[in-house]
Amino acid sequence: MSVASPPTARRASERGWFAGTARVRPFLYAAVVMLVVWQIVVMITRPDPSVLPPPIDVALTFGHLLRDGELGLDTAYSLGRVLCAWLFSAIVAIPLGLLMGNSRSLEKTINPFVELLRPISPLAWIPMAILWFGIGELGKVFVVFIGTFFPILLSTIGGVKEVDPVLLHAGQVFGCTSRISLFRRVVVPAAMPSIFVGLRVAFGTGWAAIIAAELVAAHTGLGYLIANGMDILRADQVLVGMIAIGVLGFLFDSFFRYLQGRYVRTAR
Amino acid sequence: MTTVTNIGKPLRICGLTKTYETRTGERVEALGPISVEVERGEFLVVVGPTGCGKSTLLQILAGFLEPTDGKALVDGQPITGPSLDRSMVFQNYALFPWLSVLDNVKFGLRRRSIPRRLQHEIALRQLMLVGLLDFADKNIDELSGGMKQRVAIARAFAVDPSVMLMDEPFGALDALTRRFLQRELLHIWREQQRTVVFITHSVSEAIFLADRILVMSARPGRIKAEWRVEAPHPRDVTTDPLRRLENQIYALLDEELAEAFAWERHIGG
Repeated sequence: MSVASPPTARRASERGWFAGTARVRPFLYAAVVMLVVWQIVVMITRPDPSVLPPPIDVALTFGHLLRDGELGLDTAYSLGRVLCAWLFSAIVAIPLGLLMGNSRSLEKTINPFVELLRPISPLAWIPMAILWFGIGELGKVFVVFIGTFFPILLSTIGGVKEVDPVLLHAGQVFGCTSRISLFRRVVVPAAMPSIFVGLRVAFGTGWAAIIAAELVAAHTGLGYLIANGMDILRADQVLVGMIAIGVLGFLFDSFFRYLQGRYVRTAR
Repeated sequence: MTTVTNIGKPLRICGLTKTYETRTGERVEALGPISVEVERGEFLVVVGPTGCGKSTLLQILAGFLEPTDGKALVDGQPITGPSLDRSMVFQNYALFPWLSVLDNVKFGLRRRSIPRRLQHEIALRQLMLVGLLDFADKNIDELSGGMKQRVAIARAFAVDPSVMLMDEPFGALDALTRRFLQRELLHIWREQQRTVVFITHSVSEAIFLADRILVMSARPGRIKAEWRVEAPHPRDVTTDPLRRLENQIYALLDEELAEAFAWERHIGG
């Protein structure tokens, strides 16, 4: 994933393709080390393949699940649920955060609820979600909503409250005479970088929450894929699911960082 | 055509004071009382030690702060809040990082009922005056400090203000950039003839720019001395009369600083 700012990108191109991989190399290196350690452990301890299969078996299963479309379908299910809940969270949390950051009294009214509810992990909501919504889509989306809501809300509030007061003065001098126009023209754009970080972090927590929810109550999704692998004693299938979760989570985060580097302008 | 529609307006400051209340309920006199008249189109520079209330004075003139007592009038009208008619250049640029250079300059123009075409022309003209026409589409984070402050100056002059407030605008810049921007500012000021209130703690900057220099005392800030600088622009600050003036101002400021330090030691002990 290229998250290069212009000067580094220029330097990289000067040194050819090898330098172009500079950002990916540490991750490839970590992946290779993990594979080698895994292979060595398998060779030394010779575990039963239902407990720890060698990397090559997992690669074969990966190819198999990819070819018959199961991996793609499970990924689509998990991703669809996360996207749906994450967007819904953003639609609720960003406006609420903007208002709370802007109004001391509103923040005082709502913050106690936030602080009491926030420590309850989204995973702890799974049983309630099943009791309320059954094991259909709504329950899982609800769990992810809980997981994504607070990061977005808190970073939005923070973003609004940390707007440089000098920018507010500049906005006032240059014609934002009402609170509303100052808010729209200065506060919201100035808070955008922080809101964006919240969205990125929330996508990560949402991705973790959906797997947990699918472990408990689902017939589809990557969480289901690994839970099912455990039930049928297929450690290779479990590992394929885990690797997919890890790689996808990493790619989503890199994608958000790329967007952030490219489109989000921070001060100084 | 972009014509200068506004000319500088006179400022009148009458018995202005500002008193803050600390958290413990103690009253701290930050400013005044001070009284000063600034003529139409005059370049007034205020010099003083840190904490002399010169920023407070500027904040009152900008309309961010209400004075505790006294009056500040622009062309006879009391200041009630921030206004495009009193434009400002801030010490740390205060540019909007999410906007391009051109859109920063246009920011204030957009709040005026001016046709878009004309807004565009005015903004480009101001960028040309500060020599940044080629940077119109750049992002703020791609600029150096000196370039940022030039954008801020273009933004401030673009709204066609009658009073320009400048809060240590060149304080964060290196000496060479500073010298260059002082010349540019004078050039723009002479072309557009606005009333300028400029705050600095650089004595040579004050002498280079000012029609009149006010020296403020520390805590509470009062006007301690006042000089008119008659030398024509561009000035050579190394000539004898200007050197003598510099020494006189430094002597006064040294006195003030000694007092301020003594006061701090008293507070600290």
